[in-house]
Amino acid sequence: MPVKSNYVENTSPMFSILSPSQCEEILLAAQEVLERTGVTVHDEEARDILKKAGCWVDGILVRIPSAVVDRALRSVPKRVTLCNNRTGSRDVHLEGYNAYFGTGSDTPFTIDPYTGKRQRSTKKSVSNACKVIDALPNLDFVMSLGIVQDVPLLISDRHQFEAQVLNTSKPIVTTAHDIYGFADIIEMCEIMAGGVEELRRNPFMTLYAEPISPLQHAWEAASKLILAARKGLPVVYTPCVMAGGTVPATMAGVLTQGLAESLSGLVINQSTREGSPFIMGGVFTIMDMSSTIFSYGSPEFNLLMSSLADLAHYLKLPMFGTAGCSDSNLVDEQAGIEAALSIAMTALSGPNLNHDVGYIEYGSTSSLEFLAINNDVIGMARRLVRGIKVNDETLALDIIHKIGPGGHFLSEDHTMKNFKTETYYPSLIDRQRYESWLESGSKTLFERANEKVKDIIENYEPDPLPKDVQQKIRAIVERSEQKVVKS
Amino acid sequence: MSNYYEEISQNVITGQLDRVKQLTQQAIDAGNDPVEIINQGLILGMSVVGARFKSGQMFVPEVLMSARSMTAGMDMVKPLILSEDIPSAGKVVIGTVKGDLHDIGKNLVSMMLESAGYTTINVGVDAGPEKFLQAVKEHKPNIIAMSALLTTTMLSMKDTIELLKEEGLRDKVLVIIGGAPISQDFADEIGADGFAPDAGSATDLCKKLLA
Repeated sequence: MPVKSNYVENTSPMFSILSPSQCEEILLAAQEVLERTGVTVHDEEARDILKKAGCWVDGILVRIPSAVVDRALRSVPKRVTLCNNRTGSRDVHLEGYNAYFGTGSDTPFTIDPYTGKRQRSTKKSVSNACKVIDALPNLDFVMSLGIVQDVPLLISDRHQFEAQVLNTSKPIVTTAHDIYGFADIIEMCEIMAGGVEELRRNPFMTLYAEPISPLQHAWEAASKLILAARKGLPVVYTPCVMAGGTVPATMAGVLTQGLAESLSGLVINQSTREGSPFIMGGVFTIMDMSSTIFSYGSPEFNLLMSSLADLAHYLKLPMFGTAGCSDSNLVDEQAGIEAALSIAMTALSGPNLNHDVGYIEYGSTSSLEFLAINNDVIGMARRLVRGIKVNDETLALDIIHKIGPGGHFLSEDHTMKNFKTETYYPSLIDRQRYESWLESGSKTLFERANEKVKDIIENYEPDPLPKDVQQKIRAIVERSEQKVVKS
Repeated sequence: MSNYYEEISQNVITGQLDRVKQLTQQAIDAGNDPVEIINQGLILGMSVVGARFKSGQMFVPEVLMSARSMTAGMDMVKPLILSEDIPSAGKVVIGTVKGDLHDIGKNLVSMMLESAGYTTINVGVDAGPEKFLQAVKEHKPNIIAMSALLTTTMLSMKDTIELLKEEGLRDKVLVIIGGAPISQDFADEIGADGFAPDAGSATDLCKKLLA
């Protein structure tokens, strides 16, 4: 055996936007924003907690000394694990550069796969979406892909969660209207997990909350950060900012202010209970200055998401990213281009919990066909990130020599042994020869996706929840309904 | 001798605030009719801006810079004319509804309305039915415009409409709504007079309703 010195191995592609020095500069700038400009906190309890933690509170304005941010960054866990909600199996490890993919939640609209029409999302549409997510192998976690709107809206979050747990066993990132909704959802989760402690040890749910840019924490958001900390359950905190609108037009300015919003959320969370699991979010993008949309497909959106991932890695914080979504109003070529680019860049950058797969219309509408197509795109991106292994087996010198000039590799053991692990086979992407494609009905990618989605809705059975658990969850939903009817 | 209108109009379009102020002063000093300075200079330029924005040739920050230039000119001319002669497309009370602090959309609509010649009264965020009612009584607007980002808070729009009915003011004012979860169906359901999906369309909607 030879000695190999100075040998550097890439086990994946190497990709980053920001250098460690640039990350440091942006972190320090965000800390300066918190110390100089501050944030407003529209919740008295949160302000009390922040004051005790050493923040400077003037009315609703809270300035955060850098040492308080540093302390929160030290106490927050570097990793969060999310589990299968039926078995408790620890499947999703939010740490390092692991990139997982899932859907988004609160679109007002969805495309009905049977009529092709854009309609308000319902309990049925959310149930169907969760079934499809459960069945697609490259989707690792679930968000509802729609707001349930055919029930009393003030408690629709409980119905939304019920629709999710009945139809998928994957980990769930859930929204809630407020802490009362969140408390009911936690109660459902504790029943499913078999206890308060069991849920905390093997969490299968994380709550989603967001500040309002620029630099505001509403009561709903601050109180959710506090409740999650008290319960010891993970919370995703995700500023949704648009360059030129709610943050500066410059990309570094977007990152600085967005990070300041995240870090101030982190401080509320960690000051309530040190060591609480916290996942830093951020949908950082531009406001399109012509249509004024919050863009889910621009190159700047991708650039910002990848650079936020660099910041998250620098800070050693688990991160909630965004990919597989589009500004297009339908599932067309534009949607495909935008989703492929964002999924590839996300996979290369390695933010951990990447949501919004299946969103079209700049996040206003969900599409199950788009989701099924993106399931393939995620598979392709995963193959890209696995990179190229270089060793004696893969260099294959002996087999090259054995076959020599002329001949072929098709019937070699080496080929048999390696072709499936070295290549990725998508399920909807078409590589048929022209004649076979004609014979199979000359279908477009969208048509194949539509068939697949309908097949899942009609034939796929998710693992059922035990009947008694289903009944207890139902009882909580009904209890919340009673309260609303009474008030 | 030039009456400066063409040049004022051009500088409103390009958003040259200082130049617009300078030219407006020169036009005033030269003895031009103040109402003509507004209509044939300042507003004419702004209407070109509106058309260019709609066709995608101008962007929001450019429109707002033009609007600022126009307003600066207006502020100089206004003291010279009777208030009833000041051209205004209409008066709009605008706010984000109760329980909702999201205001970028509402602010955009407000700025676009102003740049189209409307007078707006911004009641801010977290504005409940009482706040809109008070503003209607105080300012007697042609239109109230409500914004919401959340499906939970959009319900407050209906409460405002109901309160206006109770107070006998519903037929005195038009109600328009907007925001991410809002649709024409929802507007019809709660008895609003209109829905607009974005700031540009909100301006068009106001024009249509007040025509």
